[in-house]
Amino acid sequence: MMITDKITAPLSQLSQSKGWKGLACAGLLTVGAVLAGCSANSSQPMSQNALPNGMQGNGHEYLLTVTRPNQLHVIDTETNKLLRSCDIPGSFGNGSIAISPDGRTAFVLSNKMEDVYGIDITNCETTFSALQSYDNVQVKTFISMAISPDGKELYTIQNPVRKLRDRFETMAPRLAAFNIADGLNAKPIRTFPVDRRITKIATQQNGEVILGGGDIKAINPKTGETRLITALQNWERAPDKWVPPDAFAMHTMGEHIGEFVMPYFTIRWNGEPGDESKADFLWGHVRIDLKTGAVENFETVPFEFIVFNWVTDPKDKDVMYGSFNQLSKHNLKTGETLNVLGMDHTYYNLNMTTDGKKLYVGGAGNNISIHDPDTLAKLGSIPLVGDMSTADLRLAVLK
Amino acid sequence: MKKKNNMTRALLSTGALAFMGMATSSAQAASGESIIKDRCLICHTETGDAAAPFSRISQQRKTPEGWLMTISRMQQQRGLVISPDEKRELVKYLADKQGLAPSETENLRYVLEKEPNVVESFEPLLQETCVRCHSGARIALQRRTEDEWKWLVHFHMGQQPTAELHAGARDRAWFDIALNQVAPYLGQKFNFDTDAWQQWQAQAKQPLSGRWAVHGFLPEKGNFDATMQVTMQSKDHYQISLEGNYADGSPLAGQGKAVVYTGYEWRGTVTVGGVQMRQVFAASADGQSLVGRMYPNEDDVMGGQIKAVKKTAITAITPSYIKQGEQALLTVSGYQLNGKVNLGSGLKLLEVVSKNDNRWVLKVQASPKASVGTRHIKIGNTSASEPLAVYDQLARVEITPNDSIARVGGGGGKIPKQKSVYRAVGYAAGADGKVGTLDDLRLGYMTANWSLKPFDETAVHDNDIQYAGQIDARGIFTPGDAGPNPARKMSTNNVGNLGVVGTVQEDGKSISGESHLLVTVQKFVRAVIE
Repeated sequence: MMITDKITAPLSQLSQSKGWKGLACAGLLTVGAVLAGCSANSSQPMSQNALPNGMQGNGHEYLLTVTRPNQLHVIDTETNKLLRSCDIPGSFGNGSIAISPDGRTAFVLSNKMEDVYGIDITNCETTFSALQSYDNVQVKTFISMAISPDGKELYTIQNPVRKLRDRFETMAPRLAAFNIADGLNAKPIRTFPVDRRITKIATQQNGEVILGGGDIKAINPKTGETRLITALQNWERAPDKWVPPDAFAMHTMGEHIGEFVMPYFTIRWNGEPGDESKADFLWGHVRIDLKTGAVENFETVPFEFIVFNWVTDPKDKDVMYGSFNQLSKHNLKTGETLNVLGMDHTYYNLNMTTDGKKLYVGGAGNNISIHDPDTLAKLGSIPLVGDMSTADLRLAVLK
Repeated sequence: MKKKNNMTRALLSTGALAFMGMATSSAQAASGESIIKDRCLICHTETGDAAAPFSRISQQRKTPEGWLMTISRMQQQRGLVISPDEKRELVKYLADKQGLAPSETENLRYVLEKEPNVVESFEPLLQETCVRCHSGARIALQRRTEDEWKWLVHFHMGQQPTAELHAGARDRAWFDIALNQVAPYLGQKFNFDTDAWQQWQAQAKQPLSGRWAVHGFLPEKGNFDATMQVTMQSKDHYQISLEGNYADGSPLAGQGKAVVYTGYEWRGTVTVGGVQMRQVFAASADGQSLVGRMYPNEDDVMGGQIKAVKKTAITAITPSYIKQGEQALLTVSGYQLNGKVNLGSGLKLLEVVSKNDNRWVLKVQASPKASVGTRHIKIGNTSASEPLAVYDQLARVEITPNDSIARVGGGGGKIPKQKSVYRAVGYAAGADGKVGTLDDLRLGYMTANWSLKPFDETAVHDNDIQYAGQIDARGIFTPGDAGPNPARKMSTNNVGNLGVVGTVQEDGKSISGESHLLVTVQKFVRAVIE
């Protein structure tokens, strides 16, 4: 196991730090050894005034992503420099990241979407782990991870399949709650049944977990009580007027402004169903304010090209940006495409700083492209050593 | 001896499919049932039901390739330990005991034969649930109990957990539909118990040894006629000796072996001109004909349809057309042809130019007033099954396949280029004199000049024609090198969207047909049955 640390303390100091201890524990975990001596205390954050390795608190913003083979990268948004790269135990998951409310811990989905590791972004220490598969049950989590607003619980959507001797048996998906203070080798403390096909989840300020699946629902992670927020797959629209939406988002973003966005694609038949000449091909967006729970639904943006992920401009909530083969800028109220910039390759996702002054476009390659939100002009690029593939591009605001 | 070793090594290196053709019956080999008991019961269980003794095995029927895939998956992913001899023996045992009847593989053989560019059409329920990833034939070439179809759905959730998140799945309750609608439907449509299978099991199977007349086509060399001498080594195991000529007179010769599964599924490997070729044929119930495809192991696109007969027959007439008032050399391929030539009305035999065991070459004169339509040539008492067309003028040209895919390859990568092959089919207008109507007269394959064009405006804009590949005089398209191309927009691969144009010259006029070619990226996962 290796730490690649751009602001490396002398080895003599490092060898005594919690980083080594945490990694050693994680190393043991991967071979299934007994975790004697790996204290959960290692997950306790240091005080604000003592952030190690030159990290700044008080709202300083760091960009996080994962590359193959399996490293978490921490980038300072002020300098656009890569600060450190932390080895994640296990093989590549899909690069999903959830961030603790204090911005300190990145929870990364690893090992082919089965295990979650909490990594302290200030020192690469592995402070939390949950190996979700157990006994003869294979548990996969598709992207879906979220942290409670108080930072105490991690939620994942588990998709279990029981591997019997000569057959698989599909089990019902469930929300699993973990106590983050349990540290390494944490087990679910509660589970509740949920729908199939949930990918993108987020926690609201009131503690509910938004479940982004076929329909958008919210679940109370204490009681399992579930309510419908917005029906998509099961919407009650005339089938001869609307094509049921294709809703899917690979990445959880919106933390720069505190919202959850689920984009979808639909077709409105203005003539006969199937008559494309009279149809509107539309992007829809369900946007939820995580503080207030307010829900907006837009079906304004014409489907002119594929957009893989969307973020809202914190300076003007009517404006959204999208990425894929183009970086694009759209007005959600009017549906107007404000600007389009052809990219040098495909970029799956994008994110912004909370002040709305920088756009970061990443995924599907080994460089993050930096752009001016006003003009979409390229400001720079951050090279990475590996392929981001399907990885998240998240913003940690360090307290 | 050295040659044999080289061949064995080459065959083994081409993977599991190839060695099936090499299978030999070993006196020491354990019986299929005892192999199952020795190798499979670590996971599978004995049910106690003599009619279906093994869990998850005895409730399914598959093609030889289907069983091969299953056993290979068990080796690669479930820890099965089995020797190559045992594996061959087990594939043979299961394909014989739990195979598909000839009628159950009819019209689906293209996927076994690796026929490229087949456009399938299955009902929407299967299309949307299964065929968005697999060929429909892969599903339709299996027979299972309803419970087994359901376990197959469960298997998908364990093996490919994100299957329900794919485009075309995530917009519906995919798992529920697959389990509760599709599996019961498949349990009805492709049930384990069928009359066809019971009847086929009861039927006596004919040995396939003897002397066969073979007519076939290979894209790089064209038509050929050959004699295939087949010698039985042991039950269902044969030695093959192939000898004949291509249309240009050049010789064709090959040696190899074949195994017959399920009483009719001929799987051969022959070395023809130093190239390892695979034969995937179906024997007729009377054991008198073999129909299928022969292709290079390493390049399955570059193969062609084959017909072999053991009884007196005319297998092909080349060309399959003659124009009013013209003289032509017609090659009649077949077996044991003997007797007077009867060409039909309006056609006159000028001369039998040559004749041998496999082909007669006839010089034929068509009267200017010969009626437009088809004739069935007879030699002695043997009639051609395929017609000879007498026509007035060429009216249109169709390019086959109509839709096709080629794949970039090479360029330093491990995956070779996947070519595509085109042929021009001529038509006369038929009795109504109108082109493109139902009574158009199919003339058959014609010689054409080949060219490429951009398929649409995007292809023009992206200059696909410069990068995507080239077509040669034989209608063989070779795609460009794999890998990002910095000269292209977004450094894209040498992919392209092209039209393939075949132009036939007749009486100073050019008549063209077009088909669509998509040049795309490599296929990184290849399955024995796609």
